[in-house]
This record gives sequence, structure tokens and C-alpha cells, in this order.
Amino acid sequence: MKEKINNLVEEALNALDKAKKINQLMMLKSKYLGKKSQFNDFMKELKNLPNEEKPVVGKMVNIGKNKINQKIEEVKQKIEKAKINQKLKEETIDVTLPGKNISYGKKHIFTQTIEEIENIFIGLGYEIKEGPEIEEDKYNFEMLNLPKNHPARDMQDSLYISEDILLRTHTSPVQVRSLLENAKKKPVKIISPGRVYRKDDDDQTHSHQFGQVEALVVDKKTSLADLKGTLLMVAKSLFGEEREIRLRPSYFPFTEPSVEVDVSCYKCNGSGCSMCKNTGWIEILGAGMVNNNVLKSCGYDPKKYQGFAIGFGVERIAMLRYGIDDIRLLYTNDLRFNSQF
Amino acid sequence: MKISLNWLNDYLTEKIDNDKLVENYNLKSQEVEGLYPLVEASKLTIGYVRTCQAHENADKLSVCQVDVGEKTLQIICGAPNVDKGQKVIVALPGAVLPGNFKIKKAKIRGVESNGMICSLSEIGVADFDKKETGIYVLDGDAEIGKDPLKYMGLDDTVLELDLTANRPDLLSMRGVAYDVKAMFDVDIKFNKPEVKREKAEEEINIFTETKDASVYYGQIIKDIKIKESPYWLKSRLLASGIRPVNNVVDITNYVMLEYSQPLHAFDFAKINSNKIIVRKAYKNESIITLDNIKRKLLESDIVITDGEKPIALAGVMGGEETEVSDSTKAILLESAVFDPISVRKTSKRLALKSESSSRFEKGLNYELTLEALNRACELLVKLADARIVGEPSFFNNAKKIKQQFTLNLEKLNTVTGYNFDKELVKNILRRLDFDYKLKDNEFIVNVPSRRVNFESYQDVIEEIVRIHGYDKIPITLPTTPTLGKLTEKQQFKRDLRNYFTGLGFFETNTYTLTNKEKATKYDNSQKSLVKIMNPITTDREYLQHSLIPSLIDVLAYNEARKINDVFLFEIGKSYTKENEIELISGLLHGRYNYSLWQKELNYADFYLAKGIIESLFKNLKIYDYKFKVPEKELVNLHPGISTEIYIEDEKIGWLGKIHPEEEKNLEIKDIFAFELEIDKVFESHNKANRNFQEIVKFPSVSRDIAIVVNKEIPATELIETINNISNNSLKSIEVFDVYEGDKLSNDKKSIALTLVFENKEKTLETNDVEKMLKRIIKALNEEHNATLRQ
Ligand SMILES: [Zn+2]
Repeated sequence: MKEKINNLVEEALNALDKAKKINQLMMLKSKYLGKKSQFNDFMKELKNLPNEEKPVVGKMVNIGKNKINQKIEEVKQKIEKAKINQKLKEETIDVTLPGKNISYGKKHIFTQTIEEIENIFIGLGYEIKEGPEIEEDKYNFEMLNLPKNHPARDMQDSLYISEDILLRTHTSPVQVRSLLENAKKKPVKIISPGRVYRKDDDDQTHSHQFGQVEALVVDKKTSLADLKGTLLMVAKSLFGEEREIRLRPSYFPFTEPSVEVDVSCYKCNGSGCSMCKNTGWIEILGAGMVNNNVLKSCGYDPKKYQGFAIGFGVERIAMLRYGIDDIRLLYTNDLRFNSQF
Repeated sequence: MKISLNWLNDYLTEKIDNDKLVENYNLKSQEVEGLYPLVEASKLTIGYVRTCQAHENADKLSVCQVDVGEKTLQIICGAPNVDKGQKVIVALPGAVLPGNFKIKKAKIRGVESNGMICSLSEIGVADFDKKETGIYVLDGDAEIGKDPLKYMGLDDTVLELDLTANRPDLLSMRGVAYDVKAMFDVDIKFNKPEVKREKAEEEINIFTETKDASVYYGQIIKDIKIKESPYWLKSRLLASGIRPVNNVVDITNYVMLEYSQPLHAFDFAKINSNKIIVRKAYKNESIITLDNIKRKLLESDIVITDGEKPIALAGVMGGEETEVSDSTKAILLESAVFDPISVRKTSKRLALKSESSSRFEKGLNYELTLEALNRACELLVKLADARIVGEPSFFNNAKKIKQQFTLNLEKLNTVTGYNFDKELVKNILRRLDFDYKLKDNEFIVNVPSRRVNFESYQDVIEEIVRIHGYDKIPITLPTTPTLGKLTEKQQFKRDLRNYFTGLGFFETNTYTLTNKEKATKYDNSQKSLVKIMNPITTDREYLQHSLIPSLIDVLAYNEARKINDVFLFEIGKSYTKENEIELISGLLHGRYNYSLWQKELNYADFYLAKGIIESLFKNLKIYDYKFKVPEKELVNLHPGISTEIYIEDEKIGWLGKIHPEEEKNLEIKDIFAFELEIDKVFESHNKANRNFQEIVKFPSVSRDIAIVVNKEIPATELIETINNISNNSLKSIEVFDVYEGDKLSNDKKSIALTLVFENKEKTLETNDVEKMLKRIIKALNEEHNATLRQ
């Protein structure tokens, strides 16, 4: 009897191992453990055994049954896993084929540069002011210490709409308007970004339309040292933390003193290269202390107030930072250019 | 301004290192454009042609034995004017001439040549003597074996400065010397001109009838011998960028460079009267100028007349009639000050800008008018054997302009942020040669007349700071307590840019000036165009009304370069005489989010463009918008594929397909564009309720219906009807099918909609929904004769 049981368990386990499908497995289960199975017969025969053997054989039968059940579970899992694997295999795709062409876009480098300069100044507590591009001569020139027939008007050959109306040649008129609007003549700390126009033929370095960002601070003690500190911050932010600046005398009718601002060459770190024409310095912008005539014409008393102004050429900054050698590229909108920034 | 360093060094008591000069000019005065030798040639020597024989194998060549001091060299020369007994400029073997032209020993047609005999153009100074055609023959005093450049005064270095408009003082060599003195604290010296005048032989009277001529000196000078100028004078002019002509012209130019005072010489014999009257030109008056062109004059022009007719255009150009020629024996030499603005207007109008006119325009030092004249007289005696006859006739109405400014030490320090003390300021003012008195904390500074154009103490501050050095100013930041922040509108514009770039649109940056046709091409407003009075070209004559033509140009540009999927936008303006309206404009063309191998091409169409705008509105919480069929066709758009966009019943823009005719011209198909007014969209966005809205807790119920209506009824009208009848219970309506075809009669279409109902207070019962549906269908039937599709 014991041997019979052992043989049967062994046979069942072998048969189960060979099962490939779930229904096959179920048939084997009913064959070996079902009501008409041999195990069932063993259970029936159990009562005919001598009393002292009953528990031993009974235990054997149970162990055998458990082994078979375990095996069934094991094989079942194996079959199911194979089934899943089969399905996964069928679903497999060529992941190396290209993805869909999801359209992407970019802000123009012109806008990016303006926004970056704006962000720097916002961080320093400046407001942003905008104004019209079609401007009165009064705001564009006269109130900026550039009366009619002033020779410095030659520096800014202008596009006129009428005798007294023109396309603004700089964003300074926005500053004039802001100072005039300031009814209580409180301190002012603003930047004015925007498009400006000059009567220039377009070539590699000239554009009849270009962008400017001008900064203006007017307060009781705003100093040249404050200007220098602000310029240093801006230069470091735009051209790298290691940058230095230097100021050189210059001339603008609306500032006195006026300076050109150089940043130490970010290509050669000041040792001299083609970028900086071997000087170690690159001119980036103009600035100065606000001319008293400008303050006066805007209703600020120069005895109490003083201030500084800074003027950026947007394209110049962008061209320097990215090594662009032709300003017209910023207006051509070749998408092979626009997509690079 | 080109500065001869030899000349400058004449004024300085000690020589200054060239590199230091450049560095200081850059940091303390004016930007240096360049520093270079006047003649870029090495290994030149003065040679003596001992013999000169014809080359045995070449007609045009000569074989010369040239004594160059320590030895005699055989040199082949091709110049026809070479001859024995000449002293010449020899480039020795190893010499490098301008243009990197290297001289080597060579055999020319079988005969050895050890160098080159040079012409002026070969050493880069053709202008030194314009008569010379071949090799240059030096005068007899030249010493064999010595440096010819030194002998000719050409061993000079040129410092080229880029002058700013506020420094006309640097248009004179003396002014440059003063500037160097201030920067380097060195002494300078000038010689006062000495003139021996003879007794007057005739009288000439000089008057003015205009205030625009304040000073005028006229000197009669006789027995002039017009000839070539000496080497030193020619080379100094060359170094200064002025071509030598003859001794009289060269002397007037030299004095102009020395004092910045332009001089003009009239041929005295050709002045038909004994008076000079300066006045404004009369109406219809004209003059033939030196360049032989008849110039019509305006009443604003200042003219020099002989009492009757103009003989010169003051400060701008002389008249042909009184021009100095080689046969001139006597001259009237003019040294005068004219009104800068007047001269500027005349020179600008006639396009006659010159070294002289630009000096008049920038303002002259009226204290040097006579001295400059005397200096010219001194040189004319020396270099033209002239006699200075009588005292100069003149008028001098110059008001002594007192350039006195009070500089408060405290103000100097608050403006600069630096701590200047009295001694430092005193020292700098001394170096600048500015007179001053010190009263308590105030410097009362008298700025000398050579520094014209000072407006206030701010100019004095500038001088002090630059001489002390900008590098010494400390670094601080403004203490003004202000909040830096974008306005809502500014933030909104950034958001718009982010929205469109996020959807795959490239932002463009285009010109706002365009031609007349493009300016109004896609504009329906018919507002006034803004025209430029003095345009650069007709292509940039008008300000745009719409950005679409620019965007189409960008599309065409890229399309021509095989970039075929083009999605663009730009924020710009529409410019009219009344105002500037900010627009956001977009263009769609080609495939959008596509996949070739999956056969999903997704070409941009009207509904893609519309969806993008609708989605923008939802994003901005703008719900009250409508896309209307335009009552009038929109210009240059497809009449059947274009719509006007409204927010709260106000027109804010349009959207549509470019007209097929236009597309045909461009040879590009299926271009879609839109243009919205930013302010109007922003206002509506700004009004939107920003408070949190409770999320509905009860489930929604959806129903699909298909209705049949006449083809021409727009879907939006059906949706409006449904919206009106169902009040708040309708959450959304979506069109999921549109059908026209066999199963319907010709004039009908079927539209299938998904309606989603919800109620904020309770779960909707089937009954409620059915009731609502019935009402909707009834209303559709009544208003649009619609029926349910079976
Ligand atoms: Zn460099």
C-alpha cells in the first residue's frame, strides 16, 4: 500500500510537470485527486487496514495529496507566466523607430535677451515702463538736452513723420514721460525696453530698427559709484561671475559725465584675443549721470535730485553673448537660426 | 582726429611712452582708434646714383650703381626718371614695404639687383608729392646712408582718436597738448608767433551786417611765392590726414590743425572793391564755389561779399572767382568766427562737410582768432617769402563768455560717491589749467575759452573724475527702496509668448516699417497710415497695420530653404496716426505634431488654428467669445474660411485662411493666420473671476443627439440655442460628427452632439435629463427647423 501511494504520487508529479495548458492541468487534477481518483480509493481502503497502520498510511496519503496540490499550483503559475510572456512578446514594438514630431517653438533671442535684462533689473527693484514708438521731438530730443540744431542730433539720424513727430531714436523718451508723470516727484527706478529706429542702411552692424533697454535711477544721493555697482552686477549676470568692468569717458547730451562701459573679455579672460581686438575689453553699453537740464525739464530740482542712466543695445548684447556676427540675422527669422536659442 | 606724435612732442617738455599714451587716452579722454607708424617700411636708406646705364636685355630697365654709405649696390630700376647724380630712397635687401612687400636680392633679366629704388607710392605716401611719377628724388641736402623717412619728416607715429562731440578742443594740436598735460601732469610750451608788419599800402574795410559773424580778421599779404612746402610741413599734414597742395594752402591747413581755427585765403587781386561785408545771403542769390558748382543760396546762409556779390560761403567753401591760383601774388587772409548752427545748416544742405566747416560747427575759441592769423603770417614769411602789409582789418563783436561754475565739494562727493578732498581737487584743476577760487567748500571755476561747450558744474565734475580716473570710483548700489515687479499686462504678454512657444510656434522679430501695399494688406480697419517723411527706401516707408505680411515673408523665406512646417507668432504693433495697438499675430503652415511612418500627417487647417485660439481663451478664463461669420469679406482671406473673433460682443481679431489668389502668388498652399488685439484680450482676462469655484460633487449625465438642419445654418447657432434653453444645467456641448451626403437630402446636414448635463445641488434623475432634452429639441425645431435624426 505504502509503495502504491508513493508510486502514484511520483506518477502524478511527473504527469503534472508535463502539462502545458490550464485545462490539461485541471484534467490531471481530477484524475489524481477527483472523486474517481486512486487517492479516493486509498481513502476508502484505509478503513480496512490494521489500527496501528491507519495513522501512518493516512498521513502518507495527505502528504501525497498536498504534494500534488502544490505541484498543481506551481505548474499553474508557470503556465500563466508563459502566457503573459507570450502576450508581451506579441506586443513588442521597435522602440528605436522615431517618435512623433511634436512641434516645439522658442522665444526669439531678441525677446529672450530683453526678458533676461528685465529680470536682472526686477531683481534689483526696478519697474518696467513702456511708451510709444511714434514720439514727439520734444520727448525724444528737446527735453533730453538735445535742442533743435544740436550737433549731437547727427549722431542719431532720425526717421521723421512730420516736423515734430518721429520714430523714437532711443527709449529715453519713456524716461522723460515717467519723470513728468511722477506728480509728487518721488524717486524713480525704472527700465524702459523697446524698439527704436535710426536712419541707417541695414548692413552687418547697422539696423534701422533695433532694441534698447534703458535704465534710470533718480534719487537724492544716487551716485556714480551706484552706477558702477549696478553695471558690475549686470555685467556679471550677463557675461559671467568672473567679469570685471571699466568705465571710459564718453559723451551723450543727456548725461554728464557720460561713460562707455567695457566688460573684461569673456573669451580670453582679459589676456587679449580677436573677440576683444587684443585689448582684453569689450564695449557693451553707454551710461552716465543724468544731465541737470534733463532733470530740470522733467520738473526735478537738480539741487535735490541726481541720478544715473544706462542704455543697452539689445542686439549688441545678444550678438556678443552668442558670437553672432551679423545683426540682420536677428531680423531674418531663418528658423535654423531662431531654433538655436 | 589723427595726431602726429612728432608734432605733439614739440609741445611737451618730456616724451611720453606710446603705450601709456594710448592707455591714458582710452581711460581718461577719448577712444583710441589706432596707433601706427606713418610709413610702414623698414630698412630704407638714402642712396646716391653714381652711374645709370641701360640694361643689356631690357629697354625699359636701368642698371644703377647706388652709393648707400658704407657700400655701393647694383640696383636695377624700371623708373624712366632715374638718372645718375640723384639722391634717392633705397629699400635694401630684407626691407619690407607697405602691403608686406619684401625686397630681396634678385637677378632681373640676368643682371643682379640688390634692392629697390622707391617711388613715394611704394613707401605708401603717394600724396607727399603729387607731381612725382617715378622714383622720388630727394633734394641735394640729403645725406647718403641716412634714414630717408627721418630726413623727410615721415618717421612719425599717428595716434588716431575717435572724438566725441563735446571735445572740439581736441581738433587742435594745442588742445591735444593741454589734454596730455592734464592726464600726465607734464609741462607744455607754445611759441607765440612773431610777425613783422610793413606799413599799410591800401585800406580794406571789413564790416558785418549779421550777428552770425562775430569775429573777422582780414590781413593783406603780398609778394607771395607759391611753391611746394618743405618736407616737415608736408609730412605733418600727411600724418594728420591732409594732402599737401602748395605752401599757402598747406600753411592755412597747418594753422587750422594747430589752433583749430580755419583760415581762408582770397586772391586779393580778384576782389573788386576795397571792402568786405559779411551778411546773410539775399533771396535768389547764388555763388559758384571752388568746386565749380553754382550754389543757390538761402537767406540763412552767411556769405562773405565784396560789398556787392558773395565771394565765399562763410565757413563752408570759397568762391571760384577769388580762388588762389599758382599765379597769385597777393592774398587777403581771413580768420573768423561764424555761427556754428548757421554753418552747420549750410554745410549739411549743400553736403559740403569739410575739416573747416566741422570746426566752425563745433565752436571755435574766439580768443585765438588773431593769434592763428599771426601764426599763418609768420609761416608765410618764412615759407613763401611773403610781406605782411599793414595791420589786419577786423571787427570783433565776440562777447567774452564767462564759463564760470560753482562746484560744491559736497555735491562733487555725493555725485561721484568718492571722497575728493580740497587738495586733490586743487591739483586736478591745476593740471587742467582751469582757474579757480576756493570759497569755503566751493570751487568757483573759470573754464578757459579753449574748452567751449561747458554747460554747468557737471562738466567740471566730469573733468575731475576722468583725470582722477574712473577706476578709483568705489562700487556701491542705489539705496532707493523700490519693488521690482512686472505689471499684470507685462506678465500677460510673457504668458502669451510662453503659450505659443509651448504649442510649437516660433517667435519672430521682424521690421515694422514696410511698403504701402504690405502695410494695409491684411488690415480691415481702414485707419490712417503712418508715412515716413524721409524714408530709407520705399520698402521701409510706412508703418505696418498688420504683422501678417511680415510673417508671410518669413514663411516664404523658410519655405524657399526647404523648411516646410512653419508655425510663427509675434507680438507687435499696428501703427496709426491716432495710436499704437498691440497685436499678437500668428501663422500656421504645414504639418503639426505629425508622424510620417505612422501616416499621421496632421496638416495645419482652419480648425487647428481655431482650436489654439479657443484653448488660449479657456486658459485665460475668457468664456464669452464668439467666432462669427464676417458680414463683409475680410481682405485677402478666403471668404469661406475666415472668421471674426469677438469677446463680449467686441471684435478683437480675426482668423482665417490666406486667399487662394495670394497663395498662388506665393506658390505656397494652405496658410492660416490670426491676429488678436492684446489689450482687449487682456482686459477680458483681467476681469475674469479668479476666486476658487467649488467642484461639483454630483455625477454628470451625458446624452448624444443627432439633428438634421439646413446646410447653411452654422453650428454655433445651434449650440447657442441649446445653451440659452438649458441655463446652468448644461456643462458642455461637443460636436462629434458632421454628415452631409446620400442618406440626407441635398440641402441638409446632420450634426451629432454630446451634451453633458450636471446639477450642482443634486444627482440628476433620468427624468430631468429627458425633460431637458425634449425642451432642447423643441427649441432647435422652432428656431432652426431642426429635426432629430432617426
Ligand atoms: Zn579677448
